[in-house]
Amino acid sequence: MRSRGMSRRYSDGANSVSSASTSPERDIDDDNESFMMQQNDSQSSLALSIPDEELSDSLAREIAERSRVSPISRLPAELMIAIFQKLPSSKDLKNCMLVSREWSRNSVGLLWHRPATSKWDSLHNVVQSIRSAHAFFDYPHLVKRLNLSSLGSQVSDGTLAPFEQCNRIERLTLTNCTKLTDLSVAKMVNGNRSLLALDVTCMEGVTDVTMEAVANNCFRLQGLNITSCRKVTDDSLVQVARSCRHLKRLKFNDCRQLTAKSIIAFADNCRQLLEIDLHGCSQVEDDAVTALINEGPNLRELRLAHCTRLTDSAFLNLPRDIKFESLRILDLTDCTELQDSGVQKVIEAAPRLRNLVLAKCRQITDRAVVAITKLGKNLHYIHLGHCARITDAGVIQLVKHCTRIRYIDLACCQSLTDTSITQLATLPKLKRIGLVKCGNITDRSVYALAKKPIAEYKGQPTSSSLERVHLSYCVNLTLPSISALLNNCPRLTHLSLTGVQAFLHDEFTVFCRPAPDEFNDHQRDVFCVFSGTGVSRLRDYLRTESQSQPYETEGTMYDDEQSPQLQDMQQFPPLPPPPPPAPPAPPLHQAPFSQHPQQQHLPPLTIPAWPQTGEEQSPNAMSPTHDAPLSLEDEDFEGSDIMAGPEPAPEPPHSPQA
Amino acid sequence: MASASAPAVPQITLTSSDGIDISVDRSVAQRSVLIKNLLEDLPTESTNEPIPIPNVNEAVLKKVMEWCEHHKNDPTTTNDDDSDSRKKSTDIEEWDQRYMSVDQEMLFEIILAANYLDIKALLDVGCKTVANMIKGKSPEEIRKTFNIQNDFTPEEEDQIRRENEWAEDR
Repeated sequence: MRSRGMSRRYSDGANSVSSASTSPERDIDDDNESFMMQQNDSQSSLALSIPDEELSDSLAREIAERSRVSPISRLPAELMIAIFQKLPSSKDLKNCMLVSREWSRNSVGLLWHRPATSKWDSLHNVVQSIRSAHAFFDYPHLVKRLNLSSLGSQVSDGTLAPFEQCNRIERLTLTNCTKLTDLSVAKMVNGNRSLLALDVTCMEGVTDVTMEAVANNCFRLQGLNITSCRKVTDDSLVQVARSCRHLKRLKFNDCRQLTAKSIIAFADNCRQLLEIDLHGCSQVEDDAVTALINEGPNLRELRLAHCTRLTDSAFLNLPRDIKFESLRILDLTDCTELQDSGVQKVIEAAPRLRNLVLAKCRQITDRAVVAITKLGKNLHYIHLGHCARITDAGVIQLVKHCTRIRYIDLACCQSLTDTSITQLATLPKLKRIGLVKCGNITDRSVYALAKKPIAEYKGQPTSSSLERVHLSYCVNLTLPSISALLNNCPRLTHLSLTGVQAFLHDEFTVFCRPAPDEFNDHQRDVFCVFSGTGVSRLRDYLRTESQSQPYETEGTMYDDEQSPQLQDMQQFPPLPPPPPPAPPAPPLHQAPFSQHPQQQHLPPLTIPAWPQTGEEQSPNAMSPTHDAPLSLEDEDFEGSDIMAGPEPAPEPPHSPQA
Repeated sequence: MASASAPAVPQITLTSSDGIDISVDRSVAQRSVLIKNLLEDLPTESTNEPIPIPNVNEAVLKKVMEWCEHHKNDPTTTNDDDSDSRKKSTDIEEWDQRYMSVDQEMLFEIILAANYLDIKALLDVGCKTVANMIKGKSPEEIRKTFNIQNDFTPEEEDQIRRENEWAEDR
């Protein structure tokens, strides 16, 4: 067992006699429990095989002598590889290759595991070495990951062709290589039995031909991303579902051509499915979703945004009394047919949901929210934007039961008032709150958010956990409350105040980030988002202002009446600030900038919903990186990053390792 | 070794490859997964008998137990941590840096022992230490550092250099 395996390995090295005769490949293949093997099934061929040599006495003496002179030669191949794995740059690995034959054997596999293909220069050199008939090593078979996404649309079938002989590739990432067609991609797939993850996002030229090749070759496939591949049909995907039984992660975004037929095939055949993203698969219907949940005991993440045909039946048809404990993430954005009873059922069936997105499920009411409260402490992330029928009553219940919420979005829930927002503010772990266009809320809500949620935790004063606050178009807000928020939330990195008159002044907007390019003039006029250093610069500015204020006898922009309070709020040191005296919600209908009567010069505020709240509303809004890490419970090892978008492979242009 | 421990702490005895008995807190020795598994497999009455560690000599075994003693309260690494450590970070905490300031002979013996005794975190520190000795050096400097003979012909060296040129500027 384990200990036996280790003692063998150890003696290989320690006795220094047999180490040279132990080819790295055999050493590693034999020992599947080697520490390097865990979580990575691709390492088995990292080192090259060399022919076993005959052990002779003279050789043994030579090795003994060598390990005396050079102690590092005692380490067996696998430990040398473990060391090489720690090297931060490929340049270091290349230098190791040039040290000696032994060192090159042990480092070449690591270096060629994922060759540099993010720039043309390096790509050409890689291709040359792969093609060379007299290469020092068998490079083509060492390549385990190939990622051409950073060259994108410049990549042609001719670029990819030389890699056809690399038939041990495990991860092939061709995101946005829009010119590629079946011609090269199907050839890459043919004969490859090792492929674990294939990403052909946005490749119009990929059709059933490639998918059939996948079905006929890639039996180990675990991740498939065919986002926006409109020419792939149900037929070839049914074949994929039948032969690639190990699939775990599927991403079919915007494949509007797909129907329940292929999705049900995946549900029926791929019992290890963990994640499926059908964002924008508008033809997908209830039976497909019922099947995915019901047949996938491990399903953890189900994304159905803009699957507009879905109705309550998708969930109501689930068997009674069966709990789907694995399901953690459910995205139902814009499933407009969904109603309270569907939500009630899915909460009952999936009691451990952690992230729930119901944005734009406009029909749901407080009844659905009350059902959601049953998730209790499991719920970390909830999006109810544009669910305008939700009221204070629902939100208050939510806060009462789901005390671990970290992220909540209630954009455009226009009936909400300070009554519920002040409750939300008590959530101890709240990091991100979205209240865009909650037009009724006043400074009272913001003061509540600025106040530390629970003054003390185990005797330690805690500071606010708020990081991102979205208050665009909360038109009643004024400077004092925002100052308090800035001063009391040291972790704040994002604050959006688009369309809030009190902030649409040059003195503040200089700290804003620039409006997105696609914005029109009006949108630019009202754009007001502070992020990163912009937040701290605004905070500093407001503090300086408040300090200098006492000396400004005239020309102050604030009414005398308001300034004492303003100073109160602003002069708190950042940390540890005493909780600001919960202000008695001063009647702030009179904004400080009364000379700018609201909305007089401006047309009705209509800004596209997406850009104004920043990146969080993009299709990837729910990506785990934006909120609580999912990895804690991520028990699947084999490439949990398979589908995590474009592989990080094309590293940003490398800073030279000096 | 275990001198600081309160009398109630259960001790075990390890016998090094050169026949020396070393007495250690059981909890300290159990940083080694090999020893931990062994103790778990043993019937309770025989845990008082010395455990032979046939591949590690006294000096190295003591040195390794010194590390285990200092790190005895570290949380045991989960699989997640393990995948983190696979990231190419060569940061080493200060105590470990000082601990690893030994001659190469001892350094590689520690790595071998950590591997044999299955002490992941120690193996990790050892590998990082060696990686730091390699980092930023030219092939010739690496050879000098570790006293390695260049067994390439100049032509071979040149060929490898050419075939791996791409690794230069990544």
